[in-house]
Amino acid sequence: MPVRLGIDTGGTFTDLIGIDEGGALVVAKTPSTPARPVDAIMHAIARSEVESEALEAISIGTTVATNALLQRTGATVIYVTTAGFEDVPYIQRMNRKHHFSLKWSKPLPLVERRNCLGVAERLDFHGATLIPLTDEALADLAARIEARLVDASGDVAFAVCLLFSYVNPAHELRVRDFLEARFPAIPVSLSHQVAPIWREYERGSTVIADGYVKPIMERYIADAGAAFARAGMDVPWSLMKSNGGKTPADAAEAEPVKFLLSGLAGGIIAGHYFGQLAGATNLVTLDMGGTSCDVGLVRDGKISHSTNFEIEWGLPVATPTIDLTTIGAGGGSIAWIDKGGLLRVGPQSAGADPGPVCYDAGGDQVTVTDANLVLGRLNPAYFLGGTIGLDVAKAERALDALGERLGLGRMEAARAVIDIANENMANAIRVLSIDRGLDPREYALVAFGGAGPLHAADIAAKMGMRQVIVPVYPGLTSAFGALIAEPKISQVWSKHFRSDAIDAHTVGAHFAAMTDAALAQLRRERFMAEPEIERSVSMRYWGQNYEQDVPMPPGEVTPDLLAETLDAFHRLHEQFYGYAIGGETIELIRFNVTVSGHTGAVSLPAMSSNGRRPGGQPSSEREVYFQTHGLLATPIYRRDDLPAGFPAPGPLIVEEVSSTTLVHPGHRLDVGSSGVMTVTVGDGVSG
Amino acid sequence: MATQTRTEQIDPVTLSVINNAFVNVCREMGTAMMRTSYSPIFNEGLDFSCMLFNLRGDLIGQAEFCPTMLGSCQYAMKWMLDEVGLDAFGPGDVYIHNDPYRGQCHMPEHLVVQAVFHEGKPWGFVGNIAHVGEIGGMAPGSFAADATEVYQEGLRLPPVKIMAGGEYVKDIWRILLANHRTPKTSWGDYHAMIGSLHVAEARVQELLTTYGAETLTAASDQLLDYSERFMRAEIAEMPDGVYYAQDQMEDDGITRRPYWMRLRLTIRGDEAICDWTDSDDQAKGPINATFVVTAASCYSGFLHVVSDDIPINSGAYRPIRLVTRPGSLVNVKHPGPSVGGNTETHPHIQNVVVRALAGAVPDRVAASEGASSCNFLFGGFHPEYGDYYTNYHIEGSGWGGTIDHDGSNVLCPNNGNCRNTPVEILETKYPFVVEEYRLREDSAGPGRWRGGLASSRTFRVTAPEIIVNALFDRTRTHGPGIFGGGPGASSGIFIQRPGDEAFRSFSETFGTVSDSKFTRVPVTAGDRIRLDSAGGGGFGDPLQRPRDLVAEDVRQGFVSPAAARDHYGYDPDEEGA
Repeated sequence: MPVRLGIDTGGTFTDLIGIDEGGALVVAKTPSTPARPVDAIMHAIARSEVESEALEAISIGTTVATNALLQRTGATVIYVTTAGFEDVPYIQRMNRKHHFSLKWSKPLPLVERRNCLGVAERLDFHGATLIPLTDEALADLAARIEARLVDASGDVAFAVCLLFSYVNPAHELRVRDFLEARFPAIPVSLSHQVAPIWREYERGSTVIADGYVKPIMERYIADAGAAFARAGMDVPWSLMKSNGGKTPADAAEAEPVKFLLSGLAGGIIAGHYFGQLAGATNLVTLDMGGTSCDVGLVRDGKISHSTNFEIEWGLPVATPTIDLTTIGAGGGSIAWIDKGGLLRVGPQSAGADPGPVCYDAGGDQVTVTDANLVLGRLNPAYFLGGTIGLDVAKAERALDALGERLGLGRMEAARAVIDIANENMANAIRVLSIDRGLDPREYALVAFGGAGPLHAADIAAKMGMRQVIVPVYPGLTSAFGALIAEPKISQVWSKHFRSDAIDAHTVGAHFAAMTDAALAQLRRERFMAEPEIERSVSMRYWGQNYEQDVPMPPGEVTPDLLAETLDAFHRLHEQFYGYAIGGETIELIRFNVTVSGHTGAVSLPAMSSNGRRPGGQPSSEREVYFQTHGLLATPIYRRDDLPAGFPAPGPLIVEEVSSTTLVHPGHRLDVGSSGVMTVTVGDGVSG
Repeated sequence: MATQTRTEQIDPVTLSVINNAFVNVCREMGTAMMRTSYSPIFNEGLDFSCMLFNLRGDLIGQAEFCPTMLGSCQYAMKWMLDEVGLDAFGPGDVYIHNDPYRGQCHMPEHLVVQAVFHEGKPWGFVGNIAHVGEIGGMAPGSFAADATEVYQEGLRLPPVKIMAGGEYVKDIWRILLANHRTPKTSWGDYHAMIGSLHVAEARVQELLTTYGAETLTAASDQLLDYSERFMRAEIAEMPDGVYYAQDQMEDDGITRRPYWMRLRLTIRGDEAICDWTDSDDQAKGPINATFVVTAASCYSGFLHVVSDDIPINSGAYRPIRLVTRPGSLVNVKHPGPSVGGNTETHPHIQNVVVRALAGAVPDRVAASEGASSCNFLFGGFHPEYGDYYTNYHIEGSGWGGTIDHDGSNVLCPNNGNCRNTPVEILETKYPFVVEEYRLREDSAGPGRWRGGLASSRTFRVTAPEIIVNALFDRTRTHGPGIFGGGPGASSGIFIQRPGDEAFRSFSETFGTVSDSKFTRVPVTAGDRIRLDSAGGGGFGDPLQRPRDLVAEDVRQGFVSPAAARDHYGYDPDEEGA
């Protein structure tokens, strides 16, 4: 039977999950091979035992581009910009990350200063020419580029950012044509294409990042394609984009900066899917692993997006991404005591090596995993399915030592470590939701990653959230997300209008052209069914500087339809910020179209109403510490044993190979028909 | 030790949880303000701060926006409480206050506050202070560099109620908007400030529901004590002694003479005394610091050298004591002007504090930064939009080198943490073309670790007429280096009129008394104005700078070959770089 595969190449493991037409699942987990990521992909496919003839499609989420940025292993970028503005990447925005620190330094751009080259040309804010771009100017630029290429080793890429190119791209396009003709081996990225926004620093930073990762992404795609061909796998394969859609691999080379979150988007896609299976439309997704925790948002059934991603503080990448906050909180996060005597957890992590104290591999600092172990929440004999044995006594001694410095007993110290880690994650959720004017209490928490389901109920209780949803295979959600992701194409027209002088006909014509272009691309990507088309307008009050995306209803663009959209802006402003300024002129900045192809939802098979152990009996029992009750004898279930429709009151623990779910006293567990677990959070119960 | 009204001892975990929650409330307040405000100094510059106060007016929570206001806001808040009384605050009431003679830094900065009620009783206050870009007075943009009295600097507001029970107090609004040159922008900015109070108030309500008023109050008190203990522990680690430092303001816009600030810093046990008695008498012009500006600069100087982990609140300030002489540069008496005291004198004072601390903790300090915001204000009728506009423009300067790294290039002076306004936004809103915006080669003070580079920006005027004002410093002085490091380059503001071959000072061209401080100069189409910021000082002997770092500086164009030879004893030709 034809099988579709979703693959996630993470930093530590490469995960695979596949599904056939009947809904049967195959899974595989192999160590990643960072030097040649495709090797791990091929190992995972081999381990899944899916025949290459049976393969129907492959989609992959990858951290290749992200890692190149974080480890600074990308290309030598030659930045071409309007003469006089070569230093903008070094000047940046003039502000600091910390306001009382002499230790902090500005982030280093991804481009050397001597590789920032000016070209004589200039447009004004209407896009009219102030200084024409001449052949002489281009020839002069080429001479300086050649001088720079003399000592550039390895990959080279051009990144072009000219002032006001988002209003009029003519000069950038001409520079591209010239560079491609003169330096055909070097890829060219244009700022108005990767990020058609105002603010030259942010647009420039984005196009520099694009050039920086372009050669690496090209190689990754070529390697994978060649490996698939060698293995006789003649199937279409796609890559996850930062925006949560997927794109055929051969189209990904054009704008690689749009794949920075390729490896993280899958988790949110899957969280969205499982949340809907459990009947919830407002979701916070929590993906907690060993070193970090990624939090995403689904609102009214739609995944929330952002254009505020930063490689590190002060180095923005202004492309549409799923809205994600990453904080340094994971199983390996280290507990420490600051100078004032307060306990802190993270962001430093013991990582996988030496890892937590209980790994007995040389780690001597208490981590979140150690605290969970001491509290009885982790099974020392069944961590990662028993592949790593945990040393309880070592963890206990470490917590005794930490507790002594805090004046706390072992259990209280362990509980405090967990509580602070959970508070850090709760704050990340607050920042993500409240920055956007949302009330987290109206949201369910979808928890996955190895550690997510262990912490989720406590975090939910802190936030006043009522429901925690634990997906099937919570350790493989990113791969599952890649499996179910759908093609998604976005088009943007940057054009400035005031609401008192807007031309419905022109707007309508541009929307139609953008929609046609997006649909044509979707067809090229072999999607033939009926797509979903969404339109929005980015707007703000005349005088404000930050815009808000306001959905535009379907239908012909008429003055009435525009008026309806403007009204919606007033309402949104009121809802977010508590006031609207009726009668105020509104600025319209960008017109956005997104076309998504619904490939048909993957349907998981219904679970048998009987697990392997009749009636869903616990496999064992052990003492687990809870803040409110102290140590309680707690039943331990294997997830495979839980039948659909199974309900049980907390306290209890559900163990499976890749994760552990903790249900507190006063909370309740339910198992849905497709195996998704739901924890209902009781009133005011925490810890 | 501190006074404590302790009803219950909050466990350390809950305490740090509540501290984080306070910070988050303020972050959310700031985000709402940034996204909804109108003037670039607000939404691009982020020249505002957000805070929580207890009922005594102590700062109990803040977030990472503009630090200027954080050391001073408790004084403004306490003054307000003394003057109007706690009973004056009802639910939905908002007070506003900008008076430098009632605990504020300078007049553009407006404090708005609202009390948070729980079970019918006030629990504390949410507030923010923001730089309102135009508040009337003798110069567009309300930076009157030749003002001699506070009355010329704009509309002065004692604490007055502008919202009553959520409704506009229309008489106050009428007075406010009638006295500002760009009332529409003020209207938008005030709404952003007040709207963000709603956001914060709702969050504090949630905290009150979760923890109860008593616990939250006890936690606030204990956080104040915690920060105090932390700061005392930091000061106690410093060697006892008396340390001296001084610096000057080059002129006050009225007379061409320097004004000195002189610090005698005593570290004794776990306390510090900043004694400024020997500073010069107050200036006629607007470079005077109010007492609260000096207090904030002293707190800031300490916070820059101690651990980053101290929660910023009034408790952290308790161990730092101040002695100032009323009528001096660092404690202006009514009716002296003070608008530049907060932007220019403020970072100078802070740098003097850090320099004095170099005697105690040499490994934690930095050389001086450029320390001028290069305030450049302009206004006029927009030739295309037709409306009257004003704008407050600032530049970043080089920061000083430290014991283990070079100073950063082009950062907002330490008293602020503002962003620059993107060229594309600036030109869309105002009738200028920016011809260049670049780093100034060789503007960094040489050192084992050099200073950061300054910037240079050239504007070309595209309107028939624009009225410009400037309030700079460091155009004839330098940010000094430390431990053998050299000084950073001076700042400057220059003009080139059509037909002129070179840029000249405004004194030469227009006869202004000061090169760096002037108001109401009409410039016309085709004029070019260049703003150079100041560079940061170097740390340590430049001859000790590793040769590969000097070579890299020459290769990247931060240091010229000539300067490498003169200051670093490094000849790129000989070394084959």
